[in-house]
Amino acid sequence: MKAELKWLDDPTVFRVGQLPAHSDHVAYLNENEVQKQQSSLYQSLNGEWKFHFAKDPTARAIGFYQKDCDISGFDSIQVPGHIELADYSRLHYINTFYPWEGQEYRRPPYTLGKGQQPGIFSAGQDNSVGAYVRNFTLGPQLHGKKIRVRFDGVEQAMYVWLNGHFVGYAEDSFTPSEFDLTPYIENGLNKLAVEVFRYSTAAYLEDQDFFRFSGIFRAVTLIAQPAVHVEDLAIKPVLSADFKSGSVSLALKLQQDQLPAKVQIKIADLSGEQLIHTEQKAVSELEFKDLEIPNVHLWSTKDPYLYQLEITVIQADSEQVLEVVPYQFGFRKIEIKNKVILFNGQRLVINGVNRHEWDAHTGRAVTQADMQQDIATMESNNINAVRTCHYPDQTLWYKLCDEHGLYVMAENNLESHGTWQKEGGIEPSYNVPGSMPEWKDVVIDRARSNYELLKNHPSIIFWSLGNESYAGDNIAAMQAYYKSVDDSRLVHYEGVVHERKYEDRISDVESRMYASPADIREYLENDPQKPFLLCEYMHSMGNSVGGLKSYIDLLEEFEMYQGGFIWDFIDQALFVKDEVSGKEVLRYGGDFDDRVSDYEFSGDGLLFADRTPKPALQEVKYYYGNDEK
Amino acid sequence: MATMKNEQLKIIFGDGTLGLAGDDFHYIFNYSRGGLESLVAGGKEWLYREPLPTFWRATTDNDRGNGFSKKSVQWLGADQFIDLEKIALSVDGKRLALPLAPENNQYSDHEFAREVKITFHYQTLTIPATEVTVAYTVDAAGKISVTVHYQGRKDLPELPVFGLRLVLPTLAAGYEYTGLSGETYPDRMAGAHKGTYQVQGLPVTPYLVPQDCGVHMQTKQVTIARKTVKNNADQSDELFYLTVRSNGTPFAFSCLPYTAEELENATHQEELPLPRRTVLSILGAVRGVGGIDSWGSEVEPAYHISAEEDHEFSFDISACSAK
Repeated sequence: MKAELKWLDDPTVFRVGQLPAHSDHVAYLNENEVQKQQSSLYQSLNGEWKFHFAKDPTARAIGFYQKDCDISGFDSIQVPGHIELADYSRLHYINTFYPWEGQEYRRPPYTLGKGQQPGIFSAGQDNSVGAYVRNFTLGPQLHGKKIRVRFDGVEQAMYVWLNGHFVGYAEDSFTPSEFDLTPYIENGLNKLAVEVFRYSTAAYLEDQDFFRFSGIFRAVTLIAQPAVHVEDLAIKPVLSADFKSGSVSLALKLQQDQLPAKVQIKIADLSGEQLIHTEQKAVSELEFKDLEIPNVHLWSTKDPYLYQLEITVIQADSEQVLEVVPYQFGFRKIEIKNKVILFNGQRLVINGVNRHEWDAHTGRAVTQADMQQDIATMESNNINAVRTCHYPDQTLWYKLCDEHGLYVMAENNLESHGTWQKEGGIEPSYNVPGSMPEWKDVVIDRARSNYELLKNHPSIIFWSLGNESYAGDNIAAMQAYYKSVDDSRLVHYEGVVHERKYEDRISDVESRMYASPADIREYLENDPQKPFLLCEYMHSMGNSVGGLKSYIDLLEEFEMYQGGFIWDFIDQALFVKDEVSGKEVLRYGGDFDDRVSDYEFSGDGLLFADRTPKPALQEVKYYYGNDEK
Repeated sequence: MATMKNEQLKIIFGDGTLGLAGDDFHYIFNYSRGGLESLVAGGKEWLYREPLPTFWRATTDNDRGNGFSKKSVQWLGADQFIDLEKIALSVDGKRLALPLAPENNQYSDHEFAREVKITFHYQTLTIPATEVTVAYTVDAAGKISVTVHYQGRKDLPELPVFGLRLVLPTLAAGYEYTGLSGETYPDRMAGAHKGTYQVQGLPVTPYLVPQDCGVHMQTKQVTIARKTVKNNADQSDELFYLTVRSNGTPFAFSCLPYTAEELENATHQEELPLPRRTVLSILGAVRGVGGIDSWGSEVEPAYHISAEEDHEFSFDISACSAK
């Protein structure tokens, strides 16, 4: 397999040599490790990497991935992190326009009746390239096992080599990418090389309103697999009609060498009392069906009750434990009845917020402490729902939402705003993904990755197809995909309001953004067909959030109005040393000579960029607490 | 509290000013400068320049997005410049012609009254113009009751704010107020809690782009504490206080180190000048901040301030050396 630069120009090539997406469970070597929450099967590659920056593909370090290539002239860079925040490349904030607005003329391949656009990105003079190298030696616990590498997030396209061998290519910046390293792993020093391109055709799908970064911005991890390994786990909890009892079915995909093994399943309640204990012989596809849980304790935002599943893979002859996989799951039901969304049989009210991953020092490379602080802020301000705008977050976020009781709208990494909305008007002449077959697989892949990774989280009640990408056959196909794999959640997408002929095929809800209370009333008083929610409302830019009462009052008046997600949680601004005073100050778009920009428009959080609350938060807390009283 | 023992207010009929004094206070109204030039209590000056009506608020992001600042831009000029039309004076309820020289030769160094009222009539530099009056009633105890009246005028754009702006000579150490928690606006105050709150220093809410901030709605009373003066002969660092009290209807206020214009002109917090004064705006009408979106939606109609209707508010000021 040979790496090809032209993949950058081809929307039909978005994953090469990448392992299929799978559930986000963590595997441990034994029960003791589970207790300590420390798995010896993982080896972090975070930290200092060797790095070379090229302003465009012609200037890149050719062959740097070869084992014997001399890279002594390389700099070093911290992983995870953004290339721009390491000052190799200019910081840039822009909203709907593509980041090359006014700099390069581009149209997406296959739009406007044209075909491929050779060189559109692979020869792009604005397509900077980061060459990353990390030498590593496998830790003793990983020796003798199959080894893969996982990149949790890389913007926007990357090629990966181990010891000079090409192992794969990936796009989809906000979704983990895994590659099997086993064939090329050596005893002693290994050379992992990653070539990260700022742009590929994925750039057309990742036009989110945010700072435009590139680089390896989430964790990189080596993962060792025991001889028999749970590759994927699908947990299907099902409630009885009266919500009193439940059963859970498990579908496991095992990766199994020739070793005979068995799989033991244990389910306990929160107090530790064991409810289920069963086992089966290990085979590649294994199902445990309808395990009964009597007197089921429901999961809800007020009482996020989780059952404790533990899967133990045991070698058949020696009874030796090969792997232990714990996972917490919950019972809850989301459905639409009489055009009203019900959660556990009660009308759902979303007191939500949109959340970008943000840290004013590190950009979108957020820490566990950032996430925990955000959860605490939401909990203490009666926020009960979060939309992961506009991409999947680090997987820990969903686990925290399970544990702390937040509804999640899990959004795909998809936004093509600049292909259909121009200076306020709707002009979709070169919209992607649209209905072009060449742009279908790439968005289905994003939907699949999102589903497969996150499918076991009770907190997720909506899949969101993406943000502001207009509507066409391909987005309809994403919905069809979700409907084919998941009957336990609803599908959300707002953009269909601009192209109503897809209404029956896209979105279970009528979703709007920034509709006024009068607009909402008009919809709800005129034979509404779907329950209504606001995926974005109450634009919290600067000194704002006045008039929230008018939205909250609608909840009383219309059962089909089910609340919304405030835009948004935290200002996106960056700490910079002031060139005049030397003090640390917050800067926004346009402050880096970055043009074209949308300047302060990313300062629209309920929190300031340093995570201190804006004064408006007390208002949100008050009105969001209303239904709790 | 200030000098309750005074039964009579001493009046100094100056050549261009009217001085009013008691045991522990001394106020001077300046006819040509058009306002209260000096407010001294316990020997401490409280004013940097004469208080004047205020009409502008530094553009919020929503004001910019929906074009409000452009529609109401006349009030920016009106906030910075104003014409004094006339001054009316009454002593113990009796109307007096303004005692300019030589008219004031008839008085002595022993002039007393129980109550003096002086009203400044201003004309706004808007098209069309309208009248704003600021009336100060001073009693023997030194309490100043202020009534600010705006005369509604057809064809004037909506007001960003309506209040009286007091610029204090030095930076306050902080303030204490009885009213609502946090920063509140008429369309964003349901979540606030009633209480008495201490604020250290003069915090400016650090919005990414500096803009109107720090308003406290529904206030019964605010006390500003200062330590420093501009008087070179006074090196004391004891705290001293000025209190604004509602005399009926609660008022709104902000207490910041900047004027609306200073905030307006900065694109980042670090561009704001070094804080050195205290800008206390006592507000009779505040426009809501809005929130539907930041690119066109209006503030809800109930939270606009019509310039075509009259507005009036009043409050009491008293200053003292001890709290």
